[in-house]
Amino acid sequence: MRALDKLWHALDERFELEPIVEFVTHKVVPRHRHSWAYYFGGLTLFFFLVQVATGILLLLYYRPTAEAAFESVQFIVTRVPFGWLVRSVHSWSANLMILSAFAHMFSVYFMGSYAKPRELTWWTGFALLGLAMGFGFSGYLLPWNTLSYFATRVGTDMVSKVPFAGAWLLKFLRGGNEVTGATLTRFFGFHVAVLPMLTTLLLGVHLALIQRQGMHVPVSLEEEAKKRKPIRFVPNFMLREGVVWLLGLAALAALAAFFPWELGTKADPFASAPAGIKPEWYFLFVFETLKLLPAHLFGIEGELLGLGAFAAGGLVWFLVPVLDRGRPGGGRGRTFFVLGWLVLAYIVGFTFASFAGVFK
Amino acid sequence: MRCSLAVATLAIGLAAAARAAAPAAPAAPVRAAADSCLSCHATLKDERLRKPAELATSDIHHAQGITCAGCHGGDPAATDSSAAMDPRKGFVGVFAPRAIPEMCGSCHSNAAYMLRYAPNIPTDQLSQYRTSKHGLALAKGATDVAVCSSCHGAHGVRPPSDARSPVYPTRVVETCARCHADVALMNRYGIKGNEVEEYKKSVHYAALMEKNDLSAPTCKSCHGAHGATPPGVDSVANVCGTCHVSQLEKFDQSPHKDAFAALQQPACEACHSNHAIGQPQDSWIGVADKQVCGACHSAGDAGATAATAISGALASTVAAEASVGARVARVKRAGMLMDAADVKLEDAHQAYIMATVEIHTAIPARVEKQTATALADTSAADKDAAAAEKEIRYRRTGLFVSLVVIAIAMVTLAFKVRSMER
Repeated sequence: MRALDKLWHALDERFELEPIVEFVTHKVVPRHRHSWAYYFGGLTLFFFLVQVATGILLLLYYRPTAEAAFESVQFIVTRVPFGWLVRSVHSWSANLMILSAFAHMFSVYFMGSYAKPRELTWWTGFALLGLAMGFGFSGYLLPWNTLSYFATRVGTDMVSKVPFAGAWLLKFLRGGNEVTGATLTRFFGFHVAVLPMLTTLLLGVHLALIQRQGMHVPVSLEEEAKKRKPIRFVPNFMLREGVVWLLGLAALAALAAFFPWELGTKADPFASAPAGIKPEWYFLFVFETLKLLPAHLFGIEGELLGLGAFAAGGLVWFLVPVLDRGRPGGGRGRTFFVLGWLVLAYIVGFTFASFAGVFK
Repeated sequence: MRCSLAVATLAIGLAAAARAAAPAAPAAPVRAAADSCLSCHATLKDERLRKPAELATSDIHHAQGITCAGCHGGDPAATDSSAAMDPRKGFVGVFAPRAIPEMCGSCHSNAAYMLRYAPNIPTDQLSQYRTSKHGLALAKGATDVAVCSSCHGAHGVRPPSDARSPVYPTRVVETCARCHADVALMNRYGIKGNEVEEYKKSVHYAALMEKNDLSAPTCKSCHGAHGATPPGVDSVANVCGTCHVSQLEKFDQSPHKDAFAALQQPACEACHSNHAIGQPQDSWIGVADKQVCGACHSAGDAGATAATAISGALASTVAAEASVGARVARVKRAGMLMDAADVKLEDAHQAYIMATVEIHTAIPARVEKQTATALADTSAADKDAAAAEKEIRYRRTGLFVSLVVIAIAMVTLAFKVRSMER
């Protein structure tokens, strides 16, 4: 122990660590009837860490070329010891991460935690969700199977609708006019280098802001939070979060063992598109909406109009900390509260309806 | 056919008498500056006379610059109808059926002439036609047999590669059926008249019409087109062997070849029938009722013993393929990747197909050699499936152990938190 104490003193003397320890030991998390919502952010972080770990393991064997990508994933799931588990956990964790991120975003939204002074936390969180979806979109193509190939073709095709820059963006994403090996290499680069770098950066800012500003308590729960003893962050909240992470781990293990992620058949660019191409579930509400739109609406191409509407909706969602001026007596505005429920109902409704085959 | 003949007969007019002799081989046709045949006939009220002018626009001869006068003679430059259709200028309004093959052949048998239009077109149609049942009957004076225009049309003739042509693969069956489905007409020639109806039950017709496989055999593939004749007993195997090369090769190695020849049995047809050729079934092999070997063999003879051995070998392969296939499918549903087993099953099925080809040798050892290969492949796939089932059990055990460990950790943490917050 004396050696450890000496080491601590040496480090503290040089880096002034005492204030950090002071901060961490005194940090608390408010306790009220909606405290459960505070765990989603941590759970999303857990899944992200699982992604990093399993992603690095997959990198040891994955080969990002049109000729070898499918075969390398096939090799991973059939020949590499526990390769099937790593690949399956990576795929399931990606989906659970997005699900958890959505839960985190909506819980933050409904508690009005985006309001001043936490605007930047909301904006970095919004960007992180976008990056997570970017991870999903780019990673979907990497096994180079038939479904992912054609889904990427449809997905990237939508980019071409962007006015003025559409053609350029399409070429930039695909590395040419068609989805080819060049697209695969490009998506691999985005997936393992560009997106992780941006995510790490934004995640750092996001977490730092949360630590700096503390957990937000909605006006309606302030009284309750004052009456109840807060939870100490270290070690109580961390241990509680640990239980949630273990639950996440158990879910991942069960899903990977009982529902190993399918590999499908190798992509054949010359084959005709198979029936029932669908993107990942978190893009379904956009995909199905665009499919429902007529070819032309008000003299504008329906798909372009739809994408414009989604872009405008996304912008409103992004700017909600500025647009929502709150109620005179404190608390968030009713309009945005109702809007949040409508958006949630729309996303959940369209996603489930798509799975149920309503749009066939 | 009679319908086509009627079209041909009514094509131009009723005035001129039939002539048996063909016109002389024509010189290269020159497109007339003004073709009075078309301009006049196009305005006629009588549809029988107007129709040929309308059809001319879709006619391959017309497109190549061969005018009505190319076949009918006359003077297309003359504006007066009697001058245009002057018999002294070689005009023939209606061709007698016997004149039609000779008239068409006057160009189509002329290799040097045809070279100008279609360098690769055969020029033996007329000589083939003369050997055909149609040609022979025509020579004997029959007028209700097919001539060129019966199948190709008189006016508006399109190349056989044109999907609208009556001799295009998907249409030629109906073209033949115009006469060959006419029972009364066919009976006059000793033909049943149900051949087309039977053919439509065959795998060949299904391949042609359902899969749009233009290489599937139609009437002309087996009977010949211009030389249409039923294949004789001796030539049936050669006809079928045109496509079914391996089966013919095996049949030639079989004891059946000489036996069938001695019995005057048409080789393939003896087991497969002729027009209503169905999908061959393993269950056909044997001497029991509705089994094909029973036509010549009976229980206890060498043929019946061989048939039983062949049938048994095939049945064991089919059973193995089905059971292993189901096991592999079950494992796949559990999420295992079974590509290697799929390849082995595919190999097994290939060996089974080879065994079904070897049946034509009628030698059990040859069939069993292939079925042994198939059984070895299914056995290998079965081992893969067993290994995958073991892996599934291992994974689920591993999951159970992991979940127990995770659950203990969760409960421990929960108790720890509880004790700290008490």
